[in-house]
Amino acid sequence: MTRLIDPSLEKLSQIMSEMGDMAIACVSLAVDSYLEGKNTNDEVYELSDSIRNKYFEVEDLIFDMLLKYQPVADDFRMIRSSTEISYAFSRFGRYAYDITQVRDLFGDISECTNASLIEITKKVKHMIKEAVLSFAELDVRKAVKIQEDEAFIDKIYKERLPKLIQSNNTKCALAEALLLRYLERIGDHAVFMSDAINYIVTGKHKPSEKRIASHTKSS
Amino acid sequence: MTTLSVPAQKITNSIDSAIPSSVPHEEEKFKMIAENVSIYYGSTMGVKNVTMKFPEKSVTALIGPSGCGKTTFLRCLNRMHDMTKNAKVEGKVMIDDIDLYDKSIDPIYHRRKVGMVFQKPNPFPTMSIYDNVTAGLKLNGVKDKRILDEIVEDTLKMAYLWDEVKNDLKKSAIELSGGQQQRLCIARALAIQPEVLLMDEPASALDPIATQKIEETITELKKDYTIIIVTHNMQQAVRVSDYTGFMYLGELIEFRETKKLFTDPKNELTAKYVQGQFG
Amino acid sequence: MSTTNEKRQEYRALFKNNVKKRLVVDKIVHIIIFAFVIIAIIPLASILVEVFKNGISAISYEFLTAIPGSIGSGEGGIGPAIQGTLIIIGLASLMGVPIGVMSGIFLAELGDNKLARNVRFFNDVFMEFPSIVLGIFAFLVIVLILGHFSVWAGAFALALIMFPIVARTTEESLKMVPITYREAGTALGLKKWVITFRIVISAAKSGMITGILLSVSRIGGETAPLIMTILGSSQFFSSMDVPMDALPLRIWRLSLLPYESSQLQGWGAALVLILVIIGINMAVRYHFANGNGIIMRFIKQGVSTKR
Repeated sequence: MTRLIDPSLEKLSQIMSEMGDMAIACVSLAVDSYLEGKNTNDEVYELSDSIRNKYFEVEDLIFDMLLKYQPVADDFRMIRSSTEISYAFSRFGRYAYDITQVRDLFGDISECTNASLIEITKKVKHMIKEAVLSFAELDVRKAVKIQEDEAFIDKIYKERLPKLIQSNNTKCALAEALLLRYLERIGDHAVFMSDAINYIVTGKHKPSEKRIASHTKSS
Repeated sequence: MTTLSVPAQKITNSIDSAIPSSVPHEEEKFKMIAENVSIYYGSTMGVKNVTMKFPEKSVTALIGPSGCGKTTFLRCLNRMHDMTKNAKVEGKVMIDDIDLYDKSIDPIYHRRKVGMVFQKPNPFPTMSIYDNVTAGLKLNGVKDKRILDEIVEDTLKMAYLWDEVKNDLKKSAIELSGGQQQRLCIARALAIQPEVLLMDEPASALDPIATQKIEETITELKKDYTIIIVTHNMQQAVRVSDYTGFMYLGELIEFRETKKLFTDPKNELTAKYVQGQFG
Repeated sequence: MSTTNEKRQEYRALFKNNVKKRLVVDKIVHIIIFAFVIIAIIPLASILVEVFKNGISAISYEFLTAIPGSIGSGEGGIGPAIQGTLIIIGLASLMGVPIGVMSGIFLAELGDNKLARNVRFFNDVFMEFPSIVLGIFAFLVIVLILGHFSVWAGAFALALIMFPIVARTTEESLKMVPITYREAGTALGLKKWVITFRIVISAAKSGMITGILLSVSRIGGETAPLIMTILGSSQFFSSMDVPMDALPLRIWRLSLLPYESSQLQGWGAALVLILVIIGINMAVRYHFANGNGIIMRFIKQGVSTKR
């Protein structure tokens, strides 16, 4: 039996899936072109903008559903988490765009070494893919891997930043600092996403926020 | 890319057993406890071995599809089934440690501890507003006019009806609107100074504004009374109640804090029902 | 949604054809029903007209208050008969109504067992008993035993006719009160009989009164039982142990006489009887409608604060 809310839920799921695909493409494009020295600003900007529009669409749809259908139980948790997750997608797009802007701001940074960034970007790309897949399949077991990845990124972030202070090349140091910051934030949002997915499936709010909060205080 | 779907099975860390937890918090004081209640109509079992504990000064909602036994169960809490032929009730219903079904007690005396409001407003048609409210008192021998006046004002205020009728208490009760009649019935039930108030779909025959007033009344009343309300309107249950019990085919399927039951029901059947996937 | 627009047009076309015919049939049925109503009313109306026409000239103050004159003289009146009818109706009601109401309450409230079913059956049979048989019964039981005709016997006979009707109508009226009022009373912790007497009866009183009035109208015109019990007389009421006059008896006697003057008096008496019955009906309805009657106050005592 089709309930009144079902078509809206279908539409929500479709838009979220498109956003997920776009987020993966956007971030991958941004970091790869940074590391390879390519200019893909326009493409990244387009993707990021599309994601942002879809975010507004999702918000509208969610509030429309709340107004009309007063959903409960599974529907309610799905809708509630979708606000968090769609916001995460929009942030991915935004940070991807910011990453491409670094090259514009700093000009030619082809002499900077990107060794540390390579590891992190691999992890970030992996994290986003895992998060999107976890949402598609509502599989909370992936949350463990996502958290491991995020812990790794945090570690690198904390290690690299002090070293950058001692760097001779200000331009490269600042560029790398910005990149690290953006990638670390992408990682945070991926974890928030996995917490939201956990809420859909188990109905429990995870205390990851506390973890994140505590480490941002110290950094 | 795979499209999303509502999960067919939930992967949870701890899966609660299917036996419903009828104990919200052990430390809470319970005003009324129904233990192993079964109700038979002839040979049909309308309510099957239900146990529920109702915390004091709270609102408990009973939900479930038509014919699930929630109204039958509600009516046994003040022994209304005594009036029905062929109805048999087994089990205990305790108020403050006294079993209402104990053969040694006077049912009429103890029935007064539990007030009831019915689905269709039923003020006594040949009596005025004043007489309706005092019917439970006068016809039981309370004669002091001063006390009766006080109780009339008091209960009509509690039912949010005083301001609308205070100038004409002698008016016939059936001249009131549906919503006002129902609030009059609430005042009438409160006049006998009960401790528990049972409400059988009290707003289902009323328009939305009247319904809202009834819900506001219930929210105020729960400061002093323990209220048990049967409703088929789930949003009403969410708005008004602290605890909710879901019944199906005569059994209690799940009983939890309202917010938890509606956002994260433990039982598949409950989840299906509240999301409108059947009945 | 398998009907297409074409099919819908087709169906609509069908309807148009039927409508005219159905309207005609409707009108015809209306006319037939109306005709039957007229047929039913005509006899009633013509009786009233006939009685009024023939009897009005007999009415005078003397006619209404004097005792009958000598037979065939055309003098005198039907005073004792009027008084007798009122007395016998009143006495019979005093005896029959309470018993009937109590039986009706019993049947309605406690009526789900074998005893009640039997009582109900006998009640219905009793209602159809020929009144002359009841008259003979009263004759045997009271007149023969006491050795004389008396008012007691007459009241007894009429009460026997009355109470099955009152019992039945009381039971039906009580049963028509929606169960929800009884439930409300139970939920308030009221005892069963308090609910019955203070709440249910008060809601059923309109139906009950109709039943009582029906039975009063019925006995007001009964003749056969009166023949065997109060016999009739030419004097006003003197005591309970002697015969008494009543309108049906007087009408009967007068109409059997060959004199025209007696016939005229008979018509007059018939007119008076009809007016008395109508009068009782209207007076009681008016009283209860306003709620000022003595009985009404009695019923409301303890529940109302009207003084």
